[in-house]
Amino acid sequence: MKFGHIFKERLKSEGFPPEWVESAISYSQLKKCINRLTNELSELGLDPQTLRQLLKKVEDFNAANKDDDKPLEYLLAGQAGLGEQQGGTAPFHPMLLVYVNETTGELDSAHLNEETRHKLQLLAIDTGLSDLRVVELPDEEPDCLPSRTVNNSAGGLRRRPGYRTVEVPLTSDIEFFSTLAAELVGLEELQEREQRRMRGEIERLGKQIARQTDPDRRANKKLLAIWRQIFQIYVESDIFFGTTESDHSARDSEAAVERFEKFASTIASHHLVDQMKREENLRALTAFMDINRNLLQGLRFGEINRIAMTKILKKFDKQTALGVKKTFPQRIEYPDFSQHLARAVCAEVNTQILSHVPRIDDYTCAMCMDIQWRPVRLRCQHVFCIRCLIVMQTNKQHFCPLCREKTVFDANAENLDLEMASFLKKWFPDEVKLKQRHNQLMAGKDEYGEVYQQKCCVM
Amino acid sequence: MALPKRIIKETERLMAEPVKGISAVPHEDNLRYFDVTIEGPEQSPYEGGVFKLELFLPDDYPMTPPKIRFLTKIYHPNIDRLGRICLDVLKGNWSPALQIRTILLSIQALLGAPNPDDPLANDVAQKWKEDQNAAIETARQWTREHAKP
Ligand SMILES: [Zn+2]
Ligand SMILES: [Zn+2]
Repeated sequence: MKFGHIFKERLKSEGFPPEWVESAISYSQLKKCINRLTNELSELGLDPQTLRQLLKKVEDFNAANKDDDKPLEYLLAGQAGLGEQQGGTAPFHPMLLVYVNETTGELDSAHLNEETRHKLQLLAIDTGLSDLRVVELPDEEPDCLPSRTVNNSAGGLRRRPGYRTVEVPLTSDIEFFSTLAAELVGLEELQEREQRRMRGEIERLGKQIARQTDPDRRANKKLLAIWRQIFQIYVESDIFFGTTESDHSARDSEAAVERFEKFASTIASHHLVDQMKREENLRALTAFMDINRNLLQGLRFGEINRIAMTKILKKFDKQTALGVKKTFPQRIEYPDFSQHLARAVCAEVNTQILSHVPRIDDYTCAMCMDIQWRPVRLRCQHVFCIRCLIVMQTNKQHFCPLCREKTVFDANAENLDLEMASFLKKWFPDEVKLKQRHNQLMAGKDEYGEVYQQKCCVM
Repeated sequence: MALPKRIIKETERLMAEPVKGISAVPHEDNLRYFDVTIEGPEQSPYEGGVFKLELFLPDDYPMTPPKIRFLTKIYHPNIDRLGRICLDVLKGNWSPALQIRTILLSIQALLGAPNPDDPLANDVAQKWKEDQNAAIETARQWTREHAKP
């Protein structure tokens, strides 16, 4: 099946919102543009084969010589350099240029074979003043140029003494590039709109979840544990990006979908959904899942559009031999629709949603890897549990394990962080209870030895 | 005595997120004792070799560092004939916040950057200083002979 067809089918069948589909790259329209361009070129005697041959020669020639002596070139940007000043949106002005010696009417390259040279010469001279427009780059006054010429001072054109610059008059290429460029801008705008919309949704959902997990409300007690578990599994699923030391990369949509599905089935198998009794909780969970699905769809949409762009540029080169696939991406960057969106939204999910439910990982003691209970804040601001502090002091380990400052040495009851203690008690009541018991047990062992544990159990 | 939560957590993480080129598997009958392998770093004389080590977590770990020793013969100025390793973080520079994975990474780094000025194996360090190229060649040869994957 042809790509154009596949692309169209995908846009239709994958459930993208109509607004997205409208913003997609118009592959078939661009393809028609290429066909027209091919015709234009053939009429001028520049069929792809000739052109390819020609450009190949120019390339070889350039590789061996100073690039001042090109007999022919295809410039994408008549106004290169302007782009940056105008925020990257300078209009495209592609030009196929031939340089002809003013006095002899000869093309400036001995490396072209006689036939092509002749052909171009004919183009330049015989048809030059009727079919071909000959642009003379003026010495002083760039203002009085014909319309389809370039402002020399800003342009990518070099003035070459003794040569006439002949621009092969083409129109379909302008159409092609301005259409494509406009569509890329459109995709970028779509992405910004989507991001704003999703931000609003995330914020709303964040507030709902904050209410549903507030530990001060008695009814939430169980729910807090459920949401925490869901978010824990979510974070560990690394759906959109890797978060391990060795893997920070963004995932492609296929991998992300797979991970998302695994996340969904994991929370189902832990019966986390079943435990949600009230309607509002289920609604919030559904909204959370929808945000993620939305993001996955965006990822997918970005991917297929990117493929469409690559394919259409490839086709352009194949049919015209003008070689833009390498130069075009330098001119305009493909808006990284999906990844940019995914990063922004994931960050938003973190600050607006996940942060409402503190994670135990952020409150573990670096030494025992259990909850920091009771929390002791050293002078260096590092926090350890009181049990580990006692162990360190008993062992005359005077330095903070994290920063090696001598802050363990002089820590005392004053260093207990009471504010943090009440925070931990509020958000992690079960963990605190367990750790409390453990600390007592260890303290008992310190005092009475190993048998303490057994005694305890008997009693 | 029950295994401290810390050791359980470290072990779980080593299994779930292994470090590239490093493996550490606890013995079934003694969860404080690990079989370790480290792949020789690229562009070092140990490239292509897989080195076996043993690692033991003493009772007062993490107050004291893990005990580690090379089991595979290796020609390195900071590792002696018995496989003992001269590495600051295994001695005075140990901190209870360091972990098994960080220590193994340090050892891997040591293979990539031998330091003959702080030797443990004096004869090797001497050779390393006298004729570095020859020493590196010997290290390569030992790797080929003893550290076959
Ligand atoms: Zn602790
Ligand atoms: Zn500190």
